[in-house]
Amino acid sequence: MKNIVVFGYNRISFEAISHLDQSTHDILIVETDLSQAALAEDKGFNITSIDFRSDEALKSIGIGSHIDIMFCFLPEDSQNVFLTISARAIAPSLDIIAIVEDPQSAEKLIAAGANKIIDPYQICGQKIYELIKKPDITNIIDHTVFGRHDLHVAEVVIPENSYLEDTYTSGLTLSDDHNLVLIGVVDKELDDDLHFAIGEKDHKLDAGDIMVVLGPSREIKAFKKEVAHVSTDKI
Amino acid sequence: MKSYFDVFMICLVMLSVFFLVYNVEHELSEIGEFFEQGVVFVFISEYLLRAWLYSNSHRIIIHEYEKAEYLNAKFNLFNTLKIVIAKKLEYMVSLFAIIDLLAILPSYRPLRILRILLIFRLFKLFRYSNSIKVFADVLSSKRFELITLAIFMGFLVFISSIAIYLFENNSSGGNIEDLYDAFYWSIVTISTVGYGDITPQTIGGRLVTVTLILTGLGVLSFFTSIIVAAFNDKMHVLRENRTYAELSRYKSFIIICGFGRVGQEIARQFETDKQPFIVIDRSEHNIFLAKQKHYLSIQDDASNNAVLLNAGINRGATAVLCTTGNDVTNVYVTLTSRHLNPAIQIISRANRQDNVNKLYQAGANSVIQPFEIAGLLAAEYVGQPVAFEAILGILQEQKQIQMETVVVQADSLLTRMKIGDIGFKERKLTLVGVISSNKMHQKHHNRYRVKNQHFYFNPTNHFELQAQDILVVLGREYSIEHFQDQIEKSRLLGGKK
Repeated sequence: MKNIVVFGYNRISFEAISHLDQSTHDILIVETDLSQAALAEDKGFNITSIDFRSDEALKSIGIGSHIDIMFCFLPEDSQNVFLTISARAIAPSLDIIAIVEDPQSAEKLIAAGANKIIDPYQICGQKIYELIKKPDITNIIDHTVFGRHDLHVAEVVIPENSYLEDTYTSGLTLSDDHNLVLIGVVDKELDDDLHFAIGEKDHKLDAGDIMVVLGPSREIKAFKKEVAHVSTDKI
Repeated sequence: MKSYFDVFMICLVMLSVFFLVYNVEHELSEIGEFFEQGVVFVFISEYLLRAWLYSNSHRIIIHEYEKAEYLNAKFNLFNTLKIVIAKKLEYMVSLFAIIDLLAILPSYRPLRILRILLIFRLFKLFRYSNSIKVFADVLSSKRFELITLAIFMGFLVFISSIAIYLFENNSSGGNIEDLYDAFYWSIVTISTVGYGDITPQTIGGRLVTVTLILTGLGVLSFFTSIIVAAFNDKMHVLRENRTYAELSRYKSFIIICGFGRVGQEIARQFETDKQPFIVIDRSEHNIFLAKQKHYLSIQDDASNNAVLLNAGINRGATAVLCTTGNDVTNVYVTLTSRHLNPAIQIISRANRQDNVNKLYQAGANSVIQPFEIAGLLAAEYVGQPVAFEAILGILQEQKQIQMETVVVQADSLLTRMKIGDIGFKERKLTLVGVISSNKMHQKHHNRYRVKNQHFYFNPTNHFELQAQDILVVLGREYSIEHFQDQIEKSRLLGGKK
């Protein structure tokens, strides 16, 4: 169970929340605007109205204790920066995701301690541009990433004692055996970055490394199971 | 085409004037004479052609005949011809037609006085240049002010001419011979030019001069201010015309309606891509931003038919992007664009989920929801931060990793090749799938319907490629380019055989 707090109830937060599995995520919305709060309440979300400028209030909803992830979806960039700074001071390991209105604020948010910045306008502009330049690719991404079909991008963490341990990415035959396409690997031996699997470098897989695969959800599930299952056989 | 003709005519006029000026004091050589005759021939044909094209006599006659038949009246050839000739006369008395005609005359040798009409040949130049039309437009917009000024000046000149003649005629000791001299002196003085060839000698004459100079200053500044104001008023239109003229140089371009954050992002991408585009936005601030970046832009309402037509929706535009933050505007612009051009690609932004269908109904080909995408990405990050990174990387083309399509050309080496034989690994590419509308592939699994084609995800090694299939590959920019180059080369070699 992951505890998530969402600051600001608007279209982005609504989309984000509805794409999260409610059974495995405990979501709390913070909204001071009464009409917006009423809308969220109608949908059956947990909602509270605290003053995000007060550290005590932040602590009272669990930042610094049980909250794992925080979404800063407040309407003003300055509010998001302030919230990020306050939360980061209280909870050094909190995952903070913020949206940004003005591209100049992105650096400020990163400096304030946000883990991830999402610029909706930039992504939208990019998507429209791609629709013009590469309509086929955009359609594919729509169907895979934005899941109108059964194709998904998923990450598979290699557990300890998995049969994949100590194997090389070049030796993987995911596309033949599992009907999956390997997009990239995070090789913890090197760093935490994602290395795209385009045959540039051979990575040795260890426990804790993460593979990013693309494929039908059934096959992804089966593959995850297999990765975990074989490990128990080994013991 | 028209501009080539204009440039040709301008050159011809300049050359012919040069020859004629030379002819004032020298005898022309035989080639010169020949050239002059050629020029006159061109001028005459131009004049006749323009007269012929001005009205369609044929149609007038038929129209009159049909009218007569319908009314059961007798067809009157004489009256009809009168209409035809009246139409042609209408052309012949138009300003440009007169200039054209006068420009032909200086070549008539026996009458040397006609030389003076050479000037008209220079006036002819205006015909081929747009700027004079603009100037005339500007002046005509201030017709009322100019006429008032002209009447006032007429009175002033009349009064001062009489006054100076009375004070400064020969018998009074001045040097004004007659009323013509007085008129000439008035104009020279009122314009503050003051040559000084005629100067007032008497006290009365000097008083008239002082008064005239002072009023002259006023009149001149009034005239200048009228012209400046007129240009100021028209500046907006002039700038817009300039934008349209520049736009017409491009064979294909894209219209961006709305220059907010999304529009700016798209424009930035297009700029690096050297893809021509024009921005339409109602907001002065946004247009100011666009102008600062030297983008072609118009400050106007994009839902106005005339604005979109001027922006070239039916003349070179390949796509219309509605990117404003207001769904009502987006729907309206989409509808207007679709109505004006049924074939154009329209991509629109929807800020609310409920408006997506309305946009499709209005005629959009694709609808993008920025907040939905952002929300989705945020949700993705919670469950799978690394996968999120991968998606964002591909979406934003970070680290030069791209997802790209490669089309299988009919005569390239890829046609009829099996996936397993291409060797994507050696090419440092990852094959994601194949897009195809070919029925031959339908036996394969992993088929997903994408619009009116199929996307074959992760095709097996014995998947045989057909012409017009599209490979979807992931890789670095240059590996993809290299792969495309090789295919292109194989195609050229194949074509030679």
